[in-house]
Amino acid sequence: MTTLRTEATALTGTEPPGPSQPTRAAAKKPRLVGTTAWYVVALFVCAVMIVPLLWMITIGLKSRTAVFDIPPKLLPHEWTWSNFIDGPKAIHFPRLLLNSVVITALSVLGGVMTAMMAGYALARLRFPGRKVWFYLFVGSMLLPGVVGLIPLFQLYKSIGWYDTWLPLIVPAFLGGNPLFIFLARQYFLAIPYSIDEAAKIDGAGHFRIFTSVMLPLTRPAWITMAILAFQASWNDFLNPLVYLYSSEKWPLSVGMASFISPFAGQTPNWSYYMATNLLYMLPPLIIFFAAQRYFIQGLGSLGSTTQK
Amino acid sequence: MKRIIGTTLAFAGLLTATACGGSDSGGDADGPVTVTVMTWESPETNAAIKKALEGFKDDKITVQLIDTPSGGYGDKLASLTQAKKLPDLFWCGNDTEQQYTSQGLLVDWSKRIADGDGDFKADKFVASAMENWKTADGQMGGLPSLMNTYGVWYNLDAFKAAGIPEPKAGWTWDDMYAAAGKLANKGGAKYGLVADQLTSADAPFTMSLYSVSAGGAPFTDNVNHPTKAEADDKYTEGVTKLAEAIKSGAVAPPGYDASNVPALFSGGKVPMMFGGQWLAAGFQTDKPKIKYGFAPFPHVTTPTTLYDSVGICTPQYTANEDSTYKVLQYLNTKVWDAVLPAAPVAPPAYTPAQESYFTALTKSDQTTVVDTVKADLAAEKTVGVRFTTQWSSQVGDLTTAMYQPILSGKKPVSDLQAYVGKINDLIKSQG
Amino acid sequence: MSRNAGSDVKAAYLFIAPAIIGFIVFVAYPLVRSFYLALTKYNGLVDPVFIGLGNFRRLFTVDPAFWPALRATAYLVLLYVPLSLVLGLALAMFCNQRFAGVRLVRTLAYLPVVLPAVATITLWKFILDPQVGLLNTVLDRLGLPTSLWLQSPQMSMPSVVLVMLWGVGGTMIIFLAALQSVPTELYEAARVDGAGPWSVFLRITMPLISPIMLLQVILQTTAALQTFNQPKILTNGGPGFSTNVLMLSIYKNGFPNLGQIPQLGYASAQVWVLFVIIIAVIALTAKFSSLWTYSDNTAD
Repeated sequence: MTTLRTEATALTGTEPPGPSQPTRAAAKKPRLVGTTAWYVVALFVCAVMIVPLLWMITIGLKSRTAVFDIPPKLLPHEWTWSNFIDGPKAIHFPRLLLNSVVITALSVLGGVMTAMMAGYALARLRFPGRKVWFYLFVGSMLLPGVVGLIPLFQLYKSIGWYDTWLPLIVPAFLGGNPLFIFLARQYFLAIPYSIDEAAKIDGAGHFRIFTSVMLPLTRPAWITMAILAFQASWNDFLNPLVYLYSSEKWPLSVGMASFISPFAGQTPNWSYYMATNLLYMLPPLIIFFAAQRYFIQGLGSLGSTTQK
Repeated sequence: MKRIIGTTLAFAGLLTATACGGSDSGGDADGPVTVTVMTWESPETNAAIKKALEGFKDDKITVQLIDTPSGGYGDKLASLTQAKKLPDLFWCGNDTEQQYTSQGLLVDWSKRIADGDGDFKADKFVASAMENWKTADGQMGGLPSLMNTYGVWYNLDAFKAAGIPEPKAGWTWDDMYAAAGKLANKGGAKYGLVADQLTSADAPFTMSLYSVSAGGAPFTDNVNHPTKAEADDKYTEGVTKLAEAIKSGAVAPPGYDASNVPALFSGGKVPMMFGGQWLAAGFQTDKPKIKYGFAPFPHVTTPTTLYDSVGICTPQYTANEDSTYKVLQYLNTKVWDAVLPAAPVAPPAYTPAQESYFTALTKSDQTTVVDTVKADLAAEKTVGVRFTTQWSSQVGDLTTAMYQPILSGKKPVSDLQAYVGKINDLIKSQG
Repeated sequence: MSRNAGSDVKAAYLFIAPAIIGFIVFVAYPLVRSFYLALTKYNGLVDPVFIGLGNFRRLFTVDPAFWPALRATAYLVLLYVPLSLVLGLALAMFCNQRFAGVRLVRTLAYLPVVLPAVATITLWKFILDPQVGLLNTVLDRLGLPTSLWLQSPQMSMPSVVLVMLWGVGGTMIIFLAALQSVPTELYEAARVDGAGPWSVFLRITMPLISPIMLLQVILQTTAALQTFNQPKILTNGGPGFSTNVLMLSIYKNGFPNLGQIPQLGYASAQVWVLFVIIIAVIALTAKFSSLWTYSDNTAD
């Protein structure tokens, strides 16, 4: 049971909460480094992670030509706040933002839903071919995405899905990510069967059990999946570029590319790009900060369910 | 939960439906027709083109400009080609036109333009452009629209400071390398010359400038339908000189990232750069801090320049050829008049439309550009920029593997013949 | 208690139907189709022409870019995987200490993983620019040697790996979870026995996280073999072929520059070579895994 929990928690990329291991505060591992040394390293790590982003903001504040001063100045000379307005305006930011939101929301919904359903079936329902399908799904994780690129493009073209959002959304609704299925199954396996039995006695059908009992119990699983699916869709660039040619249908990722065009024969407008970049990065950032709490909170419930 | 899913799906369905309803540039032959146009120009130039197109008055034809991220134009074009959804008129290079026409993907305008409609006739176009846009069997899948002429942009202030005479028509390769040597590592500049065309994928073709000007043979006999590649002793001499200049640090080596060079040039950090005349448009809006000029390529004996033109192509399945041709004519004649003064990107291939381009340049005080472009258009000898054949993509890898190391000094110049041999193998096997 | 087996099966298939359809359409079909295409000459505009093993012959004997691509890919994997595992584990152990502010460090370390790849990679390209970039400016001010980074044939791949390592927070989080599920009683016992920190690490920590380590080795290696975004945006394969990894080579053949005809059959052949390499690596790693991973005999 310990191994399962280790794998389950480790795979979600989260940490077990404090409360379910009350002895931790007392039992301490031997300290590896002294206090000052730790803080120095911590400072270095934080700097490496944050400074590039601060640099990005600096460029976003510089004027178009000041970006190419040699040697570059660390702080902008003129604080061109207008970049944050002009940059987004140049690519019709609001429309693209809406597009990104719709595409991503649908992808997340589809991906999480179908993965949870498939994982539930694989873990808790007995049916012929159960093991086979599991191995097939896991095996498909090994398939490089590029294998599908050319055949799928031809396929979409022939069924008329070209220049629509369908190639970006429908795969999610068809169990698009095998890793999620694997995760879902892991979580479902950890739930004791007695809960199913209890619900069945109460007269609940499979669907009821799934929605009212299983889903709440596996919250950390689908929250993690949702975050990963969100990132994958929000940041996807190549697929929308290939499948969409009408500019009003583009998500933000593709719209950003119009700043860095070599074809105009001029150097790209980096200050507009970086300023808009910041706005483009905000939603994933906000979601990440908001969801951190859910991870920890949700895991508390997982801990108590397995402590039987 | 069910209700949320239900409403979401409905909403999504609605949005997708609107996103699905693409415009159909159909319409029967007699009804109203929409002609779609796609360019690779910057958003500003596109806006100017859109405005100019409003001047196209025809009861039956509506012109629609399609947006595309200019940085992704190649990807976009590839997708549209495979999906058989190319716009009626799209910006294309000579190579695209040659390849697509020979695959039967484009219309054939050759008769229309030869017979002509008033002034819009073949002989009113720049002759070399017309010639190069015909395939081996005389078909033309598009018409040339703008000529690209190349030369050397130079920082006049830097030249004056170093006491070197400024480049102008008639200067030699030795002059250029010497100047580069003197200007390197001065005033914040690292290299004296950044010549991307001489060091990147098209490098072997650009070197023909030297060999042809010296009376020798170009790298290949014909970029559209080549039969052989060669590197005679004049060519080898040119390569040797370049390799030496790179070794001395005067010229930027292969691998130097040239994407930011125009901005660096404007800031005075790159004293000389090979470049196209289109930079003049950028310099008109973002005036560089330095005094600059545009000179033709150096020569050995005869003035030689690179030949290149871009144009507008039409897919073979265009809904209405007559309407499309009408818009094409308007683009090639009137639209440039309206667009070029604000953004003088290039001289039109249609000679009568060139006046507005030169006037705009003179007005914005870029007289050296006018002189150089005129000289280039009249140059005695031209060499092609790159192969335009079906198999041209395979040349780049060979160039990277065998030609560029010679320039960087990693391989001896004697290896040049081995490279030429491989190119000839490729020509023979692909025919 | 009799369970209605029939309704179980029906429900199961209902639940799993979307995933099955997805598997057929997005896994089975592309697999078969791309294998077929690998045996053809296909430019996407006209129908494919069957040429047997011609693509593979060209790939292994004539193509000047293929062997350099393999070399570049191998170099990337050998540089990146060990570094990301070591750094990830080190960071995880670092963040597993109880200091004030450890939560902040952990969050900041994970931050780069959350941001859009295209945006951050482009940012790094700017930072690494030898003339206007942040890195050389800082190094210069500190009196340290500067480099051409992405434009130097020797430093280009290390620079690409450096940018990839900026996202090491992802690996860190996974190792952190693994570390935190090591039962603390073991550490207590070791302390009582007088074991030093290094001994604790080797004899307790490592063995107990070895299953996760194995998983990470496999995941990171397969991901590294398929790296595309960083080389594409940072260098597009250059200088020369120094960063032209296999995925990039495939893309250039399948989606070449404007004005060049795609070689989709050829690209598909390369895809299959990569696929075989990935399978081989995973199989080898799994086979030898029992030598160094510790399992506590719990059933699969």
